[in-house]
Amino acid sequence: MPADLRILDLRKEFESHDGGATVVAVDDVTLEVEKGTLITLLGPSGCGKTTLLRMIAGFEEPTKGQIWFGDKRVDRLAPNLRDTAMVFQSYAIFPHLNVFENVAFGLRMKRLSKEQVAKQVNDVLELVGLGHLGHRQPSQLSGGQQQRVALARSIVMEPRLLLFDEPLSNLDAKLREQMRQEIRELQQRLGITSVYVTHDQIEAMSMSDLVVVMNAGRVEQVGTPLEIYARPVNRFVADFIGNANFVEAQVVDAERVRLGAAVLPLAEPTAVAVGGRVTVVVRPESLELGPAPAGGARGERYLSGRVTRATFLGSHAEYLVNVEGVGELQADVRNPVQLGLLQVGDEVTLTSGALHALPVG
Amino acid sequence: MTIPSRKFLSLALSVLLFAALLFWMYNALAGSFGAIAENHYKKAAEVAMGSVPAKDEAIGGWIRRISGPSREFDLLFLKGFPEDKGGVKVFAPTPALGDFLALNGKDPDFARGIESAMYDEIYQPARRFLLGDEERRVLFAPAHDGETGEVTGTAVFLFSPGGFDRFLSLLRGLFLLALVLFAAVFAVAGYSRDPITGYVILGLFTLVGVFVAYPLFEAVRLTFLQDGKFSLETWKSILTTRQYVTALKGSITLGAFTATASTMVGFLFAFVISRTKVRGKKFFSAMATLPIISPPFSLTLSIILLFGNNGLITKQILGLENFTIYGLGGLTLVQTMGMFPIAFLTMVGILEAIDSTLEDAALNLRATRWETFKTVTLPLSVPGLLSSWLLVFTNSLADFANPLILSGSFRVLSVESYMEVTGMNRLGHGAALSLLLLLPTLSAFLAQRYWVSRKSYVTVTGKPSGRMTELVSPGVKRILVTLMVLIVLFLFSLYGTIIAGCFVKNWGIDYTFSLANFREAFERGWRVLLDTLTLAGAATPIAGILAMIAALVLARKKFPCKRLLDMLILTPFALPGTLVGISYILAFNTKPFLLTGTLAILVLNFVFRYVPVGIQSGVALLNQVDPAIEEAAYTLGADNRQVFTRVTLPLIVPAFFSALVFAFVRAMTAISAAIFLVSANWNLMTVQILNEVGSGRLGVAAAYSMVLLVIVMVAFGVINRLVGRAAQDASTLRF
Repeated sequence: MPADLRILDLRKEFESHDGGATVVAVDDVTLEVEKGTLITLLGPSGCGKTTLLRMIAGFEEPTKGQIWFGDKRVDRLAPNLRDTAMVFQSYAIFPHLNVFENVAFGLRMKRLSKEQVAKQVNDVLELVGLGHLGHRQPSQLSGGQQQRVALARSIVMEPRLLLFDEPLSNLDAKLREQMRQEIRELQQRLGITSVYVTHDQIEAMSMSDLVVVMNAGRVEQVGTPLEIYARPVNRFVADFIGNANFVEAQVVDAERVRLGAAVLPLAEPTAVAVGGRVTVVVRPESLELGPAPAGGARGERYLSGRVTRATFLGSHAEYLVNVEGVGELQADVRNPVQLGLLQVGDEVTLTSGALHALPVG
Repeated sequence: MTIPSRKFLSLALSVLLFAALLFWMYNALAGSFGAIAENHYKKAAEVAMGSVPAKDEAIGGWIRRISGPSREFDLLFLKGFPEDKGGVKVFAPTPALGDFLALNGKDPDFARGIESAMYDEIYQPARRFLLGDEERRVLFAPAHDGETGEVTGTAVFLFSPGGFDRFLSLLRGLFLLALVLFAAVFAVAGYSRDPITGYVILGLFTLVGVFVAYPLFEAVRLTFLQDGKFSLETWKSILTTRQYVTALKGSITLGAFTATASTMVGFLFAFVISRTKVRGKKFFSAMATLPIISPPFSLTLSIILLFGNNGLITKQILGLENFTIYGLGGLTLVQTMGMFPIAFLTMVGILEAIDSTLEDAALNLRATRWETFKTVTLPLSVPGLLSSWLLVFTNSLADFANPLILSGSFRVLSVESYMEVTGMNRLGHGAALSLLLLLPTLSAFLAQRYWVSRKSYVTVTGKPSGRMTELVSPGVKRILVTLMVLIVLFLFSLYGTIIAGCFVKNWGIDYTFSLANFREAFERGWRVLLDTLTLAGAATPIAGILAMIAALVLARKKFPCKRLLDMLILTPFALPGTLVGISYILAFNTKPFLLTGTLAILVLNFVFRYVPVGIQSGVALLNQVDPAIEEAAYTLGADNRQVFTRVTLPLIVPAFFSALVFAFVRAMTAISAAIFLVSANWNLMTVQILNEVGSGRLGVAAAYSMVLLVIVMVAFGVINRLVGRAAQDASTLRF
């Protein structure tokens, strides 16, 4: 059984408007999505994620490459002949139709009987919690309700592929969190293969089975949220997902590196020869901060430094620490209220658990 | 470089194959037609050779009898042969033929022809010969002695292949057309995922090509022709003749006066309505838009009734003797009253889009109200002022109806070009003059495009702030409102004069109540009224539907040469009506588009002239509709047609209807292009009004104007009500 969605060497070039060179929006992307998974296309704006999604939906024609839904090649099919349904950033609710008719639109296109349409629409409206609003006009709905109509309209089609184009970016923070959970639950319950475009890493981390990190039209890394965070393949991914300090370190042996004055363990063995240099990713929350002991050094696993900036953020505090032989590192400390806030100028020691070294080359 | 795809290769191959097939067919047809022609030449020669006179003296007369320019051929007779003792005696009826013999006598084909004749055979060389600079097919035929049957000489026939050539070029044209059509249809089918849209676009291109580009091309071409040859005579005479130069200056002067006055009045109305709190804003904006929909003559007519040589105010009330309203002053007055609505509408849009919090900010920063107006409001409305000035300017230049009646001895280009065409029958001059009219229009347009638009700071938020601080002191406001009321009163009196004019027995002499004008108008004008309604009724739906289709294609589809289509389809609206009218008579008075004198030419003219407005409002509306709404319908399984009928169409219905209203009103009230296209069979109310004014029957003209006004108002009311309902449906368009 082939994967629900396969993308082979997909490429999209646009003519640039001021003449001259073409712009490569999507640069030879290859991707497979198994049935029932939710995959997120994550990247900064202009990375090609939306173009990729629109090619899957059929709104853009690929310059080259193939798109397969199961064993059916679709890249030259018109959008209405592909078994997809899309939830748009702007919701794209038909302003001249009421809620019921918006949801019924696709079913009517399928020429279902009146009874079937009514049953399925009512079921799905119930499912998204809009059972009582069928007769409302779109203009009478709140943002969250409009979002639910858009969602209902898509899932009622039971598409092979559900597409999301930054669907939550127009909602406020609280509502966004709630809808995130609702969408994920619904998707898992119905087992619909989904492609979700977002530039919000929290959305990507919290909802996806797999995250595809894109940059400048290319796929930088594909992996579970944990893999992407813990083992980024390059600086871009490490930087884009969460915060990161990048530190040049010297390989002591396959499993340890020297960082300034300290020697710290690696999470996974490195292939770089002893004495060679690697870049390690130090997540701010993985740094442990402690007051400097009166007697000086605390052993080879410890670095020492001085706080140069302290920011209190409630749940945690962000410190900028100037570390001898390393430079400035950001360190996050949870629960600062009870642990006590450090002040600028305080002498501290730092240590960290196992570090991730970026692959070389 | 990308490698051509397989699709492209297969397309190229099939087009090539089709081309080869056409070429073969063309050759076969041309060959058989050539054979027919040769046979025909031979027959003609044989008939001619049956009557060769025996005597030398008679030969000259015989040649002149059967040949020459009015006949099918020229004839050259050579008596005797080079081998004969007496030598060859040449009979050439004209010196040109003598030259021809001298030039070609040594030609091998010629020698062979004479030899064939000697052996009693006809010879037709394949190549053509030149007689002067004309191509001729040559045929050598033997001449016989009437009694002995002996061969006595050679007749050289020079057939003119004109008809044959024309047939072949027609054939070539048809085959080329077939090839282009085939290639286009094939390319659309092959390249587009959506062939129907492809064919629609192809259709639009064809329509625009035939009804916009072709007539214009014909008009421009004519200005460079003199007796069928290229010449700059027309332009030379236009640019050096004093009368025309005066007219150009007149047009520009009038345009500048009207534009300045209209912009001032328009700004006054727009400012008071959008920037102050006054009562009756709705009424004032209605009044300020009324002149747009009234027939072009109505204001001129009432101006004449009031201020003319026999006017109510000038003669009866003031008793002025030497005053004349005809000329620059009167024209400026009439055009300003008729055109300030254009400036008003532009300015209202701009002023309402200026966020009034900007003014609040200025006031907050210690600016006085006057300083705020001077440093914030006015600079922000400068682009609007400029563009409304330019809009009125171009409109004034193109205006034809008012100057025709009211210009007196003052000359303007539009009237001048009309006179050239109808009075002197010099279409070339008429076309050139209206092209000249295009120059200021075009430069105004370019200025608008590259200069004014760059100075535009206003971003339309679509939400004019509800709270607003008045920028004028109560005193100033009172002055402004008074001015506005005075202008509205004047406008009222103008319309009132028309109404009075139709019910008065004989304006200027006998002011007793009478219905005679209406009786007369309906007696003679009933058919014209029906004609006008038929025309408007036919043009309106066509224009509406075409506008919607074109708007959809232009706003939503990507295709090659889109900007060309966009530009061409919008052109006729920007052109002076006189130019459009002249180009239509030029383009459609011969086959294959013989349309002059028909209803069709009037309908087509209206459709293509007023469709741009519908397109623009359609495109504007579509640009507000999030394309995602249509895309959503596609992903839900709707095909092109369903997306159009179920989503797009319902959303653009208001634009569709307003395009309909506009087309209808224009069809009822237009004159500048139509006046060239009316005929005995199909006449228009506006032209009829002009005729009545021309022959001094102002009362009847007023009656016609009234009828026209009433029809237009009723149409507006009816369609407005419909649109109102549709607009309500679409009011949820943007969230």
